[in-house]
Amino acid sequence: MDATTVLAEINGNIATVGYGLAAIGPAIGVGIVVGKTIEGVARQPELAGRLQVLMYIGIAFTEALAFIGIATYFIFTGI
Amino acid sequence: MTSATPPPAQATSIPVLRRILIYGGWVALGIAVVGSVIGYFVDGGTGVLSALIGTIMSVAFMGITAGSILLANRVAGNESAIGGFFGIIMGGWLLKFVVFLVLLFVLQDRAWIEPMVLFLCIIAGVVGSLVVDAVVVMKSRMPYASDVVLPPAPVDE
Repeated sequence: MDATTVLAEINGNIATVGYGLAAIGPAIGVGIVVGKTIEGVARQPELAGRLQVLMYIGIAFTEALAFIGIATYFIFTGI
Repeated sequence: MTSATPPPAQATSIPVLRRILIYGGWVALGIAVVGSVIGYFVDGGTGVLSALIGTIMSVAFMGITAGSILLANRVAGNESAIGGFFGIIMGGWLLKFVVFLVLLFVLQDRAWIEPMVLFLCIIAGVVGSLVVDAVVVMKSRMPYASDVVLPPAPVDE
């Protein structure tokens, strides 16, 4: 066995790494969206309804990435 | 003239989110029909089942966000319960992803699932619901200042 093979050896399921990668982006994105909404509602409580809708759009677009990212691994392992 | 008590302040987001859920349901129906037809030609009954499961999963999971905001408005709508409000939305979000992971894990090796049809229907459902969200929000009319309870008008003695 040459040195390269030994160095490249990984044990366990690579899906965990994939899930971690798929979770980073949406986690940051949703954190920013919700944090900024809280900030906005704290500044102007009368805008809460409007900000909720904008927050919803932000969360929807961000979580779409997570859904596709998570589904990708499970689907393409079967091929 | 009787002075009627003003209706309780309701967040202006509620009708918009309801409309998103309703239109999302119609789009899901369309995607399910088209996906089922394509799935039938790809893999017969298995393809149809995969298309239906994929569409239901994507639209249900995307709809949970709007549903959780509606629920949070109802349960923790006032300003003092803002922690509960965001707790319901983020808790629902977390729960949704755990359920989504478990569902995919359970479904991945089933003989009655055609993975590619399922995957494409999930993507079609996600993109379709995003389009619905964007269109409904663009077309919705919300007053700039909302959710305000005005004090009662002064009465002349």
